[in-house]
Amino acid sequence: MSTTTTDIEARPKQKAERRDESTRPGAYFQPAVDIFETPDELAVLADMPGVPPDGVDVHLEGDELRIEGRVRPEDYEGLKPLHVEYGVGGFYRRFTLGEEVDREKIQAQLRNGVLALRLAKAERARPRRITVQPAS
Amino acid sequence: MVVFRDPFQDLQRELERMLEPFSAFPSAAGGVFPPVNIFDAGDAYVVRAELPGVDPKKVEIDVEDDTVTLRGERAFDVPGREVAYHRREREQGRFRRVVRVPGRLETGEVKAEYRDGVLSIRLPKAKETRPRRVEIAAA
Repeated sequence: MSTTTTDIEARPKQKAERRDESTRPGAYFQPAVDIFETPDELAVLADMPGVPPDGVDVHLEGDELRIEGRVRPEDYEGLKPLHVEYGVGGFYRRFTLGEEVDREKIQAQLRNGVLALRLAKAERARPRRITVQPAS
Repeated sequence: MVVFRDPFQDLQRELERMLEPFSAFPSAAGGVFPPVNIFDAGDAYVVRAELPGVDPKKVEIDVEDDTVTLRGERAFDVPGREVAYHRREREQGRFRRVVRVPGRLETGEVKAEYRDGVLSIRLPKAKETRPRRVEIAAA
């Protein structure tokens, strides 16, 4: 199968809606995400450019998964904007998890501004092959 | 009354105010991805672009006169096996962007850095255009 690479189109950054209890000031955007599922796990990839590994928080509370990324103000010290095509700020997004996710087994990794979450499915939710024993 | 000002929030508001997405700035030859911001750093221009999840070895930067050309590809690992997508918002593909800086540059001293998914290119201004302090001669 041949694949053709297409040219990417630019999309404007979406502002994130913050809950009231989040009192961190500043601009926040919704990260673009890819969410896919394999038989064993759910994966979430979120674009958070400018967020260093120690600037990300992943919170799980009941059914709700929240991801938050903070950029470094130091990266902008001494810079005066001349031409602006995108806003700069942190990232925030919420997700509701289904029961099939094992709450204890969530892995998070941030690399090159992409947060990768791997959520293992609970054992009972994984497809199982049941072998049938012949009657003796 | 003391008012606490956060310089970074001020900058964010300034960026918001100046925001020109999809502007006519790029030349007809280039596209609009990635969006770029251009800053003045005193003795240099800094061009920044958000390119999360890109292999920096696959990005080419060319500088000629006052134009900077960014070319590259954003390609993700395909998960393989049995995969079902629930959401697909991150785009991949090729990009080519031509950016013009507002002044003349010093040749040969351009530095580019890719960190946490942000490409930052520092282009020193031509020496005679840099801000200079002028002494007032005594009469």
